[in-house]
Amino acid sequence: MLTLLQSWVRPDAFQTVLNERSGRWYNACLRITRDADLAADAVQEALLKAWDRRDDFRGEAALDSWIHRIAINAAIDLTRRRKRRAEDEFDDDGFEAEPTASPESEYVLDALGRDLAVAMQRLSTTERQTFLLKHVEGWRLEEIAESLHTNVNNTKSTLFRAIRKLRVDLKVWSSES
Amino acid sequence: MISDDELLLYYYRELDAPERARVGAAIAEQPELARRLQALVARLDTAASMPEVPVPAHTRQRWQAALERAANGPCVAPRTRSFFTQPRWQAAAAAVVSVAIVLGVQQLMMPSSIQTTPGTVAATTNEPAEPNASAYEHGLKWHLASTEQQLASLDEASPEERARLIETIIGQNRIYALAAERAGEPQLARVLRAFTPILEGVADGRTETASSVAQLSFELRVMQARLGADAAAPSNTL
Repeated sequence: MLTLLQSWVRPDAFQTVLNERSGRWYNACLRITRDADLAADAVQEALLKAWDRRDDFRGEAALDSWIHRIAINAAIDLTRRRKRRAEDEFDDDGFEAEPTASPESEYVLDALGRDLAVAMQRLSTTERQTFLLKHVEGWRLEEIAESLHTNVNNTKSTLFRAIRKLRVDLKVWSSES
Repeated sequence: MISDDELLLYYYRELDAPERARVGAAIAEQPELARRLQALVARLDTAASMPEVPVPAHTRQRWQAALERAANGPCVAPRTRSFFTQPRWQAAAAAVVSVAIVLGVQQLMMPSSIQTTPGTVAATTNEPAEPNASAYEHGLKWHLASTEQQLASLDEASPEERARLIETIIGQNRIYALAAERAGEPQLARVLRAFTPILEGVADGRTETASSVAQLSFELRVMQARLGADAAAPSNTL
């Protein structure tokens, strides 16, 4: 009976998950891309993929986790594509997605700039993404390596490089305060 | 001597079984090591924290429009009618409305009861947000309710599904522990973090599933009841 009900409420579940969880997906993508438009595109891409596969999900929690993960992968992919387009040849690893001119993006970048201030801004895109995927999202190193098109050893050294940079900056902060 | 990198790999659950056992035993024996790990994680939590940015209304509208196009567009061509207009879904919608009415009446009749069954939790998660609830509080309620559902389904899950579910719960707990720290609720963050070793024990088969799930479900219900009480408090004063 429960299984029957779960399958019956699926369209409702889809809408509920969208209403309840889209903020979390959007913010996760925002951390990855640091760009409001790219984050919105990433979530939309994930939603459409999830819609196509809506019959595969068992309950709202599975749908939420799946969309969250796909959206983050889409965000990484979109950042990579924009990086390629920008042809930033001299600072290969240090590229940050170009801020767009919309007021929304300015607001987001302002919020990010204030709160991620010194430490996170010193990280390269790859370092920041690796750290966020591991420390905040809890992905396995293998999953991060696959998503960032690299290997586990590189991912591990990138993660510890990011952590060392963050620790140095955080030590400066705490001693200043 | 255990390095900070090893401590972090332990925290991130990236050590192989023998290494994990060695570092775990050292942490258990040396309080100083446990404190070092805690301080290290707290610093990184600080670096990772950032405010939640609300989703702009036009972005939500764009997503909604894209989904509506997908529902009515050529990608659902094999279906002869729109997804929502099939008789099966119309009947289902009527059934869902009936169930919702029954549950609503039951809730009105028992305003102070704590929801314990997965079905009731699902009904709770479908409730609209209280107008005054912050996105954080609302998200946290949703997380607690869905975690309770996931825990309840552990018994029936296959070993692979079980491992995936536990990993999902641990990952989501980590995110909400960070959010709780940011919201100035360190006690809640500690409770959420305390789930991790218990869940790892269940995943490794070191602890008995039923008693661990019962313990965690109890903690979840306490947190939900507390959140419910906090949310109810302002309205009582109006």
